[in-house]
Amino acid sequence: MKRITCIFLFLIQFFLITAQEQKTKNWILNGYVKNLQSVIFFDNNPALGIPQSITFKDNLIHNRLNFKWFLNDKLNLKADLRTRVFWGDQVQFSELLGVSYAESLEDANDILDLSIEGSSMKGLAFQSMLDRFYLEYMSEKWEIRLGRQRINWGISTFWNPNDIFNAFTFTDFDYAERPGSDALRVRYFLNYASSIEIAVKAFDNFDEAVIAGLWKFNKSNYDFQVLAGLMERDLVLGLGWAGNLKDAGFKGEISYFYSLEEEIDNSFGANFGIDYMFSNSLYLNGGFLFNSNGESRSGSEILLFELSAKNLYPYKWTIYSQALYPFTQLINGGLAILYSPGDLHALFVNPTLTYSISENWDFDLIGQIIFDKSDKYKSPLQAIFLRTKFSF
Amino acid sequence: MNSNKIFSILILISLFVWMGFNNIDPTPKEIIKKVQDNANGISNQGEVKMTIIRPTWKREMSIKTWSKGTDFSLILITGPARDKGTAFLKRDKELWNWQPTIDRAIKMPPSMMMQSWMGSDFSNDDMVQQSDPIEDFTHQFLGMENVEGRECYKIEMIPKEETAVVWGKIIHWVDKADYLELKTEFYDEDDYLVNTILGKNIKKMDGRLLPTRLEVIPADEEGHKTIVEQVNIQFDVPMKESFFSVQNMKRIR
Repeated sequence: MKRITCIFLFLIQFFLITAQEQKTKNWILNGYVKNLQSVIFFDNNPALGIPQSITFKDNLIHNRLNFKWFLNDKLNLKADLRTRVFWGDQVQFSELLGVSYAESLEDANDILDLSIEGSSMKGLAFQSMLDRFYLEYMSEKWEIRLGRQRINWGISTFWNPNDIFNAFTFTDFDYAERPGSDALRVRYFLNYASSIEIAVKAFDNFDEAVIAGLWKFNKSNYDFQVLAGLMERDLVLGLGWAGNLKDAGFKGEISYFYSLEEEIDNSFGANFGIDYMFSNSLYLNGGFLFNSNGESRSGSEILLFELSAKNLYPYKWTIYSQALYPFTQLINGGLAILYSPGDLHALFVNPTLTYSISENWDFDLIGQIIFDKSDKYKSPLQAIFLRTKFSF
Repeated sequence: MNSNKIFSILILISLFVWMGFNNIDPTPKEIIKKVQDNANGISNQGEVKMTIIRPTWKREMSIKTWSKGTDFSLILITGPARDKGTAFLKRDKELWNWQPTIDRAIKMPPSMMMQSWMGSDFSNDDMVQQSDPIEDFTHQFLGMENVEGRECYKIEMIPKEETAVVWGKIIHWVDKADYLELKTEFYDEDDYLVNTILGKNIKKMDGRLLPTRLEVIPADEEGHKTIVEQVNIQFDVPMKESFFSVQNMKRIR
């Protein structure tokens, strides 16, 4: 059934690109196709089991279909399909080590298995996954969603300790939508910027349950939110806000995790940031993240660490700054620098250049360079990505 | 008839003449208010097509808009595909942006208000009308001038000190017969012309006469222009203030 759904969705998109202009419809279908080429260079690091420097060259074709069907004024069905075809060194390397690349992709599923995947020794892998699949009921005051969905509780920029259902890392730039959670979310709107909600993520085992409530309200031109609940084996309490200091944006999030396991410590995550746009359209964003769980011995972990709302970045303290500037209206440049003080002095440098080729064609050049200090200060990892995107 | 009576009649006549004169020529503030009322109604909803023109390229965008007074507005981008579903909400002095890919509303800092909206020659402030053209400015009548064969009131608006706009002054040319804004010039604080907006293609839409094509021309940039064409508009559609909510940014379509 799943396979048929996937194939069906695949076929209709090509028909629909041309049929988009028709008005009367009670459904929406849009999406994109991206091609991402990457070159990642790892310097030799015996401590991490990399005896000699190694370069991975890979390619990824990525298709996304966002489908929404309005059954009536109050009820709609959402189904988004994400399909990726990979080929190159990483797939081959993984298969050589005896780790199926396909299986590692399958981990993105929550409770329901809504994906098909496969990989070969020749370095080819693919995955097709429904990362949104839910039924939604909406009335003026209520909103109820059941199924695989993104529950985004972030309110701040850069990092979101409040985003307990689906933590997001800044370094994963190619999946803005994020994987979905199989969950039930019930929201009641109190006014234009106030709501209360409860969300429960499906679980087989109570140790994996995430159950929490969120209250959003607006006071003195600030958006505030307070959350409380259970996140796996922690009780969590959080606070977040978005407002202004004069003309600059002032946003932050704080989460405290009280561990229910005796041998695991309580943890605390906080993020504060200020953003401002100058009259020449230069946008600056700066702030810091505190992560009580942060402790890392290698800069390479920036791309490999285990992400959760309790551990958003592998270091205890991180200062971030980001600048975005439109060189012309079609060419935008960006530079983000993340510096983590400590023995390693880990530095993550992320330059970006985006070019709008036409209304629906974009081209991006993205760099990720990591520096850290072991015996001397050097760069253990450099990556460059070339991305072309067509939206429809 | 004694001289006293004659005097009284003269006073009465001059009073009538004075009053009559005032009836013909409303104050500059009233003119601007009439333009606003005519162009916006109590509330309105419509669709526009925006074309950004540069010497070597052009981009088109389609937008749906809802507004009520100057305090509430909602903008939804319906095309191109890349930006479809992106929405902006303004309530009084607060501004939010809905990003459908991440399923989240982002509160925008006030410093973003004056910046270019989606790469066009409009600022965020132009799009959502943060400043109130009646209350936030002082108005002065500069005379009558002809624009495209129509007789116009020429009115200068200077922002009050506490008004957060980038303009030093704004000059409006308002059609005397139908209160249509046919030309507007925006000057910076050093009195240099920055932008000119021309109101063209005057047509009746939903029972009102309107310039249905606006051209924004930056003063010192050859070949740059933004054109806004009103595809349709409905006035005085009943709209509750609660319609302008963060949750509605993702519901409208």
